Amino acid sequence: MTPEELAQIKVDKSVDARGTSCPGPLLAAKKAIGQIEKGQVMEVLSADEGTKRDIPKWCAKKGFEYLGTVEESGYFKIFLRK
Amino acid sequence: MAKKLTLALFSGSVDKLTAAGVILGGAAAEDMDVEIFVLLQAAFAFKKENALTNERVAEITDKKDEFLASLKRLEAPHWTEAFKTAKEMTNVKIHICGFAGKVWHGEKLEDFIDLADDIVGIGEYIDAAENADINLFI
Repeated sequence: MTPEELAQIKVDKSVDARGTSCPGPLLAAKKAIGQIEKGQVMEVLSADEGTKRDIPKWCAKKGFEYLGTVEESGYFKIFLRK
Repeated sequence: MAKKLTLALFSGSVDKLTAAGVILGGAAAEDMDVEIFVLLQAAFAFKKENALTNERVAEITDKKDEFLASLKRLEAPHWTEAFKTAKEMTNVKIHICGFAGKVWHGEKLEDFIDLADDIVGIGEYIDAAENADINLFI
């Protein structure tokens, strides 16, 4: 999805994992994914570089849809659909 | 079927235990089945009276203070917390090697932190290692 589309998307669950380092963000995402329904959208906020690659890989393994990553100031948002 | 990870945890130093904790986090994210064998020096770190106060590091020892300060600065969870989180998120069995326990005067399971599940012998380690997809020695 484009950054514009991602900016508009309805987020069903937001996981703020800034302030935790690897494997914090990945585990926070895993915990939170159990709280949303299939088809719903989750965003993960992180400042940890490794997370940018971990989450898309994890999505591929689990069959979730990785939607894209948006850079913010000092952190980034990763969007995925369950 | 869930992949299996067997960890031969030999080290009782905080730097290596912290690394083990991060790896366990990765295994938990993948819903792996994990078996940890607490060997020799790690048995020291797993004793109730040592677990939280032990600050020994194995490598780059001349920069130990900087290392420990960085762990605090980055708000890294203590290795016992990382192990506990992994245990909550996936199947993790933590076995204390009987001989290692005796080396550090740990005779009963209660001598070790609650994370420990049982006391075992070497046969169980070999069994677990044979069946694992990932084998590690830390």
